[in-house]
Amino acid sequence: MSPDSAPNRDRSDGRPSFLGHGVGLRRDHFERVLSDPAAVDWFEALSENFMVEGGRPLDVLTRVRERYPVVLHGVSLSIGSTDPLDQAYLARLDALARRFQPAWVSDHLCWTGVGGRNAHDLLPLPYTEAALDHVVERVQRVQERLGRPIALENVSSYVAYRHSALAEWEFLAEVALRSGCGILLDINNIYVSARNHGFDPGAYLEGIPPHKVWQFHLAGHSDKGAYLLDTHDHPVIDPVWELYREAVLRFDPVSTLIEWDDRIPAFERLEQESQRARAIHDEALPRLAGPAAVTTAPAGRPAGLGTQP
Amino acid sequence: MKLGGQTDLKRTQELFWELITAPEGVRAAIDSLSRRGLVDEPSLNSLFTGDQGLPAVERLDIYANMYFYRLLDCLAEDFPKSLAAVGPARFHNLVTDYLLRHPSEHPSLRYLGQRLPQFIATHPLLEAFPHLADLARLEWARADVFDAPDVQPLSRDVLARLPQDRAGDARFTLIPAFALLRFDHEVVSFWRKLDESAAGHAGTAAASGAAIHGGGSGNAAREAPDPGASPSGEVPEPPSLPAPARRSAAARVWRRDFIVYHCSLDEEEARCLDLVLAGESIGRICQQLAAGRSLVKATARAGRMIQGWLEDGILAEVALNETTR
Repeated sequence: MSPDSAPNRDRSDGRPSFLGHGVGLRRDHFERVLSDPAAVDWFEALSENFMVEGGRPLDVLTRVRERYPVVLHGVSLSIGSTDPLDQAYLARLDALARRFQPAWVSDHLCWTGVGGRNAHDLLPLPYTEAALDHVVERVQRVQERLGRPIALENVSSYVAYRHSALAEWEFLAEVALRSGCGILLDINNIYVSARNHGFDPGAYLEGIPPHKVWQFHLAGHSDKGAYLLDTHDHPVIDPVWELYREAVLRFDPVSTLIEWDDRIPAFERLEQESQRARAIHDEALPRLAGPAAVTTAPAGRPAGLGTQP
Repeated sequence: MKLGGQTDLKRTQELFWELITAPEGVRAAIDSLSRRGLVDEPSLNSLFTGDQGLPAVERLDIYANMYFYRLLDCLAEDFPKSLAAVGPARFHNLVTDYLLRHPSEHPSLRYLGQRLPQFIATHPLLEAFPHLADLARLEWARADVFDAPDVQPLSRDVLARLPQDRAGDARFTLIPAFALLRFDHEVVSFWRKLDESAAGHAGTAAASGAAIHGGGSGNAAREAPDPGASPSGEVPEPPSLPAPARRSAAARVWRRDFIVYHCSLDEEEARCLDLVLAGESIGRICQQLAAGRSLVKATARAGRMIQGWLEDGILAEVALNETTR
């Protein structure tokens, strides 16, 4: 790894490099990923799992980073909390990003705790102007602290607030446009929340500005009858694949990642899911088969962002 | 807390937190808040969405279940032998009590169990399982050394280069991924028996089993286990192992090549490691060993002990006058 050698490979619309199709780096697959070439282009690592001083996970991530582009994806930034930003957490995240030179750093548009306590869950925000101002200001401070723009992901949710004045996609788009952050658009989360709250997932896609979308997530969920639960323990279902196809058509090439966090299957099963995403992507955007429409990040080299929004 | 249509974000988050972390569920939390005149169900329904198919209370209960079961899963992963020793029902109740007293205050789940061993030491469960605090301390020490800083262990060659006439003045430094523990019960052998029992976690032998943290659960949702998961519908009982003897015991826990090990120690070796940790010299360690022994036997004992430390990779450095290697 050569942390300082990253060329700026941003796309003309300001989005970071198209990384291709990746999967989440999970401990169940550490040996497999290190022992044989993987049929994926990049890996996403959960930031908090590597905010440690030593041991096997850090060693594995170091070796994976030597071979593949990596994105750091956090779950504890708590960007929507009314607690002060956790400066110690940001310092650890900054150190991790400096060490591993991820293509980008992402977290979730949510809050995870209040009063100094952490639920370790992605809790929904009310979509109000006050909450929007609050989140935008915090995103800007985080980006200043890290010296890079971040991407925020839409979460699956099960309850909403009656005093929300904006649709979720309007809120997400406004956060991105005002703060300069990117959007990690979780296609499965859109599907899950659309069912749980009764909105049109197509309207969600139409409400997101294409040039702000840096990454897609795809995952499986559980149908509990009265609601869908974002369990990440199943294959992606066909309606989500179809929504993904619509998203690819709308947003052009976007780095896509398969998440599978529970009842984790063999790595080859994740490769299959990733290959399916690639096939849908390539079918929807066949021009990519010709001269490169976008730059791609090479394996083993940082695909860093060179410009601030 | 008066809702009264207020949309203050902080108070909304505090209310949300109170509802989803209540140990008996959202309904009980609302009842409690209502009795205190703080909020009632109609005002809650004016704040949160819900419908006949899925009322607001049930929607919030999804979060309440995810909160508890995610943290329960985390502690079950960090304390598998404690869980096996008391059984899932008692462990569930222990975690309920623990989270009320010590909710997570760290961004990483890695530290959730940090206070559990001390908490157990004050918990009523200790009456029935007096060895449980010791067992939990052993498990937490294993979790702690798993991701301690990496240090290259001291090599035999470096040690051999010490001037023989000054070796007694040299001092060892231990690797960061090391812990010396003292117990009131023989939990090391109990740990092994649990491991070997059907209820234990097979395949994690004392000297080879490494709790691999860093797996995490991403942002996957958590839910309560299926009540029909057990064929009999009954809560499984812990294994019928004899409780470990109440006797002073010592152990060391360390990591080598990313694998966590532990072993029991005799008190003499534990005292020698105390001296190493205190920065005492090799000569002082030999004095410790000389009590009641001939010089030849004391030297041989010291040699065997240091040889074992070298082989296990728990020594990081040896230095003369603090700076000379």
